[in-house]
Amino acid sequence: MSKAYFDYAAKRLLQAIVVILLSYVFTFVVVSILPGDPITNVLNNPQNGFTPNEIKEIIAAQGLDKPIPVQLWSAFSGFVTGDLGLSMRTNRPVATLIAEVLPSTLVLASAGLAVALFLAAIIAYGTQFLPRRFGQGLLRGFPSLFLSVPNFVIGLVLIHLFGFQLGVFRVIEPDSFWATLFAAIALGIPISAQIAEVLIANLDHESGQDYAAVARGRGLGQMRLFVTHLLKPSSLPVITVVALTIGELLGGSLITETVFGRNGLGSLVQRSVSTQDLPVLQAVVSLAAVVFVVVNLIADLTYPLLDPRVKLLGGQERRPTTADDSSLPISKAVTR
Amino acid sequence: MTLASVSSTPRATGIGRLTGLRVPPVVILSFLVVALAIGWSLAPGLFTHYDPVNGTPAQKLLGPSAAHWFGTDHLGRDLYARVVYGTASSVASALIAVVIGVVAGGIVGLLAGFFGGWVDTVFARLVDVLLAIPKFLLAVIVVTAIGFDTTNAAIATGVSAVALFARVMRSEVIKTRQATFVESSFLLGGSRWHILWRHVLPNASRSVLPLAVLQFGDSILVIASLAFLGYGDPPPASDWGLLISIGKDYLKWPWLVYAPALVTIATVLSVNRISRWLRETD
Repeated sequence: MSKAYFDYAAKRLLQAIVVILLSYVFTFVVVSILPGDPITNVLNNPQNGFTPNEIKEIIAAQGLDKPIPVQLWSAFSGFVTGDLGLSMRTNRPVATLIAEVLPSTLVLASAGLAVALFLAAIIAYGTQFLPRRFGQGLLRGFPSLFLSVPNFVIGLVLIHLFGFQLGVFRVIEPDSFWATLFAAIALGIPISAQIAEVLIANLDHESGQDYAAVARGRGLGQMRLFVTHLLKPSSLPVITVVALTIGELLGGSLITETVFGRNGLGSLVQRSVSTQDLPVLQAVVSLAAVVFVVVNLIADLTYPLLDPRVKLLGGQERRPTTADDSSLPISKAVTR
Repeated sequence: MTLASVSSTPRATGIGRLTGLRVPPVVILSFLVVALAIGWSLAPGLFTHYDPVNGTPAQKLLGPSAAHWFGTDHLGRDLYARVVYGTASSVASALIAVVIGVVAGGIVGLLAGFFGGWVDTVFARLVDVLLAIPKFLLAVIVVTAIGFDTTNAAIATGVSAVALFARVMRSEVIKTRQATFVESSFLLGGSRWHILWRHVLPNASRSVLPLAVLQFGDSILVIASLAFLGYGDPPPASDWGLLISIGKDYLKWPWLVYAPALVTIATVLSVNRISRWLRETD
């Protein structure tokens, strides 16, 4: 482990902490300066049936009568020490509310990621073995098709076909194995497209390199060439792409949970949105940002250890092939 | 030989470039689909004579037929008419979202890339923060804060795309700034704003165009998702996402989901194909 790596790691760690803290402040500011405030929208709404005394209590407990910078400071210091505050609607600790639904979302998100990786691998590696004119074009067309289908439509089609027509799973039992699997497929398909696009681009790039031509010249078959030469260098950069899709995995499960009727973070967000329960929303967004930043930090820190071609120069990372400064697979495809 | 090679590279004027292009049939089809969507949104009355709001209860939940291309819904309204009339807000709101993303993100990226130094550092952290929050969650938060309707959903979608455009613009600007013609313009005494406006912006925006088209398709999806969750205009509006959301309660009559879904997919697929074609011909 070189000094350059430690410099790089320290710099990335510091950056990650700054981004997490700033994203909390950012969310708070967005939620509080924009028009629409919870006192008039929720508490004074006769539909919710709060008595004037209760309203006063909630306002005092949440500190809604204080100026925004003061509110921000108390919420922010709470966040740093791990206190997420109380839910405005149920008056229970936000951390407890999140802890109740988190496992369901974690199961769905990890299953969705597994589906996405599996599909992406089949599509991208498949292009290496199908004949160029027949079949390959079809495989290469999948990512753009997958990117054009809203994931709630995939979910509804799966429910209609497998739930209602074929009876593989019962819609009223959303946590059963089959229901979870189909929810994961609905979540994973759009994400697989992004991973597959990068994977295909990397494979094309690597198989055009001199070393691949030399290997072909030595008489290596496509299978040997792929396994021994192309697989590793084209797949490693995907680690960073997968880390970047974490956000979409979380955002996508919000919709997928609604479609499949699962009780997870997504439905918590839905309930909190309809009641303008800002502390809960704030906490969920911050949690998502923390997860995203930490996963990307881990990816960025392990990547130089896995790929010997990466050179760390004065705390700056130099990545090989396509993974330069563009962040998302889409922008990558454009700027390349 | 020399003459031939010189004359074979004419100056690329707008029309010259268009006629010189060989447009693949798929792309022509994509343009037709997009043109149809634009037609639907500008003059829906030309494409259907049914009323999208008031139906004939006696004709509820009919399957697709010659009279009702997409069938009818639970109130006996022609679904094709509902889709056609819903296009305007589905497509126009995606346009609003893209404009917000391109303008705000473009300005941030332009300033960060061109001036560098502390401006770049500040904007880079801002973009990092925007990227750290899942795009869809960010859109949900913004639309919660400003209220549920389709225009607000479009604004929220635009805000969630700012970071993407800022990033691409910044890297393009940095690339352009190092070009020799920019350096020579500096040496000729060009002011910073002149160079920014005359040289850097036009060159950097080249790769922003295909991205903006791509983002247009993506915005249609995000806005449909927001409408699906009920954060857009309430019924009797007929945004595509809302139609699918209503249809999901009537899965025994699956065309109520499939018809608006297919229209959405066809539109987004066409937009994405056009974006790829723009990228390839650039």
